[in-house]
Amino acid sequence: MTVTLPVELPADDAELADAVASWLRQNLPADWLAAVEAGDRATVERIRADRDRAAAWFDVLGEAGLATPTWPREHGGLGLTADRASIVSEQLVRYSAERPNQDFVGLALAGPTILEWGTDEQKAARLPALARGRELWCQLFSEPGAGSDLAALSTRAVQQEDGNWLVNGQKVWNSYAHLADFGLLMTRTDPAAPKHRGITYFLLDMRTPGVEPRPLKQMTGDAEFNETFLTDVVIPDSARLGPVNQGWAVAITTLMQERNGLSGRPAVGPGASDALVARAVATGAWRDPLLRDRLVSAFVEERSLQMTTIRSFVAAGSGAPTAEGSIRKLAHATLSEKLGVLGTELEPDGAIAWDAHERPAAVEQFLAMKTYSIAGGTSEIQRNIIAERVLGLPKDPDPERHTPFQERSRG
Amino acid sequence: MSRVDFLFMCRWGPLSDVRLTPPSHSLTLCPVYAEQRDPEFGWTGEHRQLRETVRGLLAERAPVSRSRELAESGARHDAALYSALAEQVGLQGLALPERFGGYGGTLLDLAIVAEEMGRVLYGGPFFPTVALAAPALMASADEEACAEYLPRIADGSVTATLAVVEGSGVWSPDDVLTVADAGGRLTGAKFPVLDGVDADLLVVAARGPEGISLYVVEGGAEGLQRSALEILDGTRRMGRVTFDATPARRIGAPGHGWAAVTQAREVASVLMAAEQVGAMAACVELTAEYARTRRQFGRLIGSFQGVKHRLADMAVRLEMSRSAAYWAAWQDPGTEEFAFGAGTARSFCSEACLQTGQDTIQLHGGIGFTWEHDAHLYLRRARADMTVLGTPAQVRAELETTVLAAAAELEPTVATHSIEVPA
Ligand SMILES: Cc1cc2nc3c(=O)[nH]c(=O)nc-3n(C[C@H](O)[C@H](O)[C@H](O)COP(=O)(O)OP(=O)(O)OC[C@H]3O[C@@H](n4cnc5c(N)ncnc54)[C@H](O)[C@@H]3O)c2cc1C
Repeated sequence: MTVTLPVELPADDAELADAVASWLRQNLPADWLAAVEAGDRATVERIRADRDRAAAWFDVLGEAGLATPTWPREHGGLGLTADRASIVSEQLVRYSAERPNQDFVGLALAGPTILEWGTDEQKAARLPALARGRELWCQLFSEPGAGSDLAALSTRAVQQEDGNWLVNGQKVWNSYAHLADFGLLMTRTDPAAPKHRGITYFLLDMRTPGVEPRPLKQMTGDAEFNETFLTDVVIPDSARLGPVNQGWAVAITTLMQERNGLSGRPAVGPGASDALVARAVATGAWRDPLLRDRLVSAFVEERSLQMTTIRSFVAAGSGAPTAEGSIRKLAHATLSEKLGVLGTELEPDGAIAWDAHERPAAVEQFLAMKTYSIAGGTSEIQRNIIAERVLGLPKDPDPERHTPFQERSRG
Repeated sequence: MSRVDFLFMCRWGPLSDVRLTPPSHSLTLCPVYAEQRDPEFGWTGEHRQLRETVRGLLAERAPVSRSRELAESGARHDAALYSALAEQVGLQGLALPERFGGYGGTLLDLAIVAEEMGRVLYGGPFFPTVALAAPALMASADEEACAEYLPRIADGSVTATLAVVEGSGVWSPDDVLTVADAGGRLTGAKFPVLDGVDADLLVVAARGPEGISLYVVEGGAEGLQRSALEILDGTRRMGRVTFDATPARRIGAPGHGWAAVTQAREVASVLMAAEQVGAMAACVELTAEYARTRRQFGRLIGSFQGVKHRLADMAVRLEMSRSAAYWAAWQDPGTEEFAFGAGTARSFCSEACLQTGQDTIQLHGGIGFTWEHDAHLYLRRARADMTVLGTPAQVRAELETTVLAAAAELEPTVATHSIEVPA
C-alpha cells in the first residue's frame, strides 16, 4: 500500500529531505531499495530498465506529486518553489527513483509551457499523464534552415475550413522524436508577417498520420535525435497552444525553461568531477601534480556552478526563470567540455584504444562533451542573451527582423 | 595483468600508495562567529539594509577616487573614516561577540561589508585588523587576550595584523622559521605583512619550544624593526617586520598556533573572496557602461560580438564567484563545509578577479591602459590578492584531501548518476 506524504510539507529544508527520503524508503519496491542501499548499480539499472516495473513506479511517484514538485497541487504537483523542489529531486536521485533523462522535454519544457499557456482542457488532458510518466515528449523546434535563428522556421500550418490545421515541413535534431508520444511543435502560420509574429505553437500527437521521424546517427555513434518529416499532417485546433500567430511568446517560455534546466545538479554534492577524481585514483593519474591541479580546479568550478544554481533557484522562488539562466547554461557547457577532455587524459593511453568490454566511460564523455554548447541554444547565442538582457548592451543587428517572412533572404 | 592495468603501470607507476578513503567527520568547532541560521542564499531585510548603509557611506566618503588618492600619496588610510566606521556603524566589531565589545553579527554580515569595500577598493588596516588579526585572536581561544585586545579593535582605537609568511609566500608550518625562546622573545623576519609598518599590534606565528604558537607583539616593542615595502597594490600597504629577541606575549595553548592560523586564514579567505566579488561587480558595471556609450565604426562598441561575448564571460565569472563566496559565508566557521567553501571561493574568485581585471582593461582600449583610469587599480588589487593568503594553486593542493573524500563517497550513496538530456 502506498504511504502518502504529509499534506503539510515541513518548512525546514532538512526535514523536507527527510520526509521525502522516508517516503521513498516506504514506497520503493523492496528489491529496488535494497539494491540502492547496497550500492548495487547493475541491479538498479536492470530494475529501471524493466518497462513495466518502471511504469508502475513512476505512477506511484507521480501520484505523490514528487515527479513534478514545482507544479501546483491541482495539477499533480506539490506547489514548491524551485529551491525546495531541488531538495526533492536530490533525494530522488540519491535513491535512483527519479524519472529518466528522456523525460527532460516532458517534465522541464512541456509541463511548464502548458501550465502557462494551456487551456483547462489541455491541462487536464496532458499534465496528469506527464506527472505519472505515461507520455514521452519531444521538441520539434529546429529546422534545416532555422537553428539559432529559430524564428526563421518555415514549417507551414494552414487552417482549413473545418478549423483543423494542415501542416507540411521538416524538423531536425529532435531528441527521442522516434519514441515520443507528443511533440512541442512550432509552425509558420502567417508568412506575410515579420518572422516573430507569424508563428503558432501546437501540441502534436506523434501518432498522427504524416508524422515521420527518422533517427540520425550522432557523432557519439548513438541515434537519439531525428529528422522529422511532416507531410499533410492534420492537427485539430484544440491542440493549438496559445493564440494564433503568437507562438513566439509561447516558445520563449519553453526556451527559458530549457536554459534554466540545463545547468547541472541543483545541490552542492557529487558531480561529474567527483567521478573523474575517482577514476584518476584508479588509473594512477592522480599522482601527476598537473592533472591533480586541473582536477581540483574542475571540481571547484563544478561546485561553484552548483552553488550558483541553488542561489538562482532561491532567488527565483516560484517565479518564471529569467535570462540569468543563460549564465548557468553557458557555464555548464564550458565545464562539460573541460571535463570531457580531462577525462581522456586520466586514461593511460588517452582513451584512444581499448580492449573489447573495457571501453572507458571517458570515451562517451569525450564524444558527448559538445552537447551543451550546441543543444538548447549555442554558447554564442547564450553570450548574446547575457550581453543584451543581463548587461543591457545593444541587440545584434538583424536586418530581417521587420521584413515579412516570405520576403526574407534564404541560405 | 590486463593490458589496461599494464598501461596504468607504465604511465603513472604502481597503484599502491593513493587510496580513496571516506572522510572522517570529526569537526573542530571554532568559536569565531555566531552561527548562521538563515537558509542558504535567503537574504533578509537586515542584510539588505546593512549593504545599503555601507554602500552609501563608502560612496560618500571612500569612492574609488579616494582609494586612488590615498594610494598615490602613499598614505596608509583615512584615519577619520576608520574611526567613523567603528563609531558610527560599528563595522570593526560587527561580527565580534558582545562580550568582547562587538555586535554579535555573523560572518555573512561581514562578507556583505567586505563586498562593498571591494567595490571601491577600500584598503588600509581594515582587512588585516578585522579579517586576519581578530579571527586569529578569537581562534586562539585565549579569553584573557581577547578581552584585552578585541574591544579596542571593535571601537577602532587599535589596528592589528597577522604575520605568518616569511618571504616564500607559502602558508605552511614548515615555512615558519621565526623562533620564540622560552621567555617568549621572538627572533626572525616576516614579509610581506599587510599594514606591517603601522599596525598597533602584530599577531605573529612563531616556532616555540612546543611547536608553533601565536604571539602578540606591541608596536613599540624592543628589537622590533619595521620597514615599508614597495607595493603593487597601493591601497594596502605592506611591510617587512624583523624581530631580534623581541618581547612578545604568547596567546592560546602552546603549540596550537597553526590551527588558529588556519582558522583565521579560512575566515580571511571568505572575506577576501567577497571583496573580490565587489571588485568584479564594479569592473563589469564599468565596462558594460563603457560598451553602451563608446562608439567606433559608427556603432556602439557594445554591439560588436567580440565585446559582447567577452563581457558575457565576465558576467558568468562574476556570478559564479558570488555564489562561491557567499555559499562559504553561509557555512558555519569551524565546520568542514566552511573550510571547503573557503578554499573553493579563494581558488575560484582569485583567478576570476584577475581575468576580470585584464578584460576590463582590454575592453576600454587605450584609456584602460592609462594611469588615470581605474582599471589598473583593480588589476593590481587582483594580483596582490592572489598571493596574500597563499596562491590559488596552493589552495587547490590543500583541497585535495576533501576532493578525494568526496570521490570516495560517490559510489555507495548515489547509485546512478543523473544528467539532463538536452532537447
Ligand atoms: C545533441 C543535440 C540535441 C538537440 N535536440 C534538439 C531537440 O530535441 N529539438 C530541437 O528542436 N532541436 C534540438 N537540437 C538543435 C539545437 O537547438 C540547434 O542545433 C542549435 O540551436 C543550433 O542551431 P544550428 O544547428 O542550426 O546551428 P546554426 O544556428 O547554423 O549555428 C552555426 C554556428 O553559427 C553560430 N551562430 C549562429 N547565429 C549566431 C549569432 N547570432 N551570433 C553568433 N554566432 C551565431 C552558432 O553559435 C554556431 O556556432 C539539438 C542539438 C544537439 C546538438
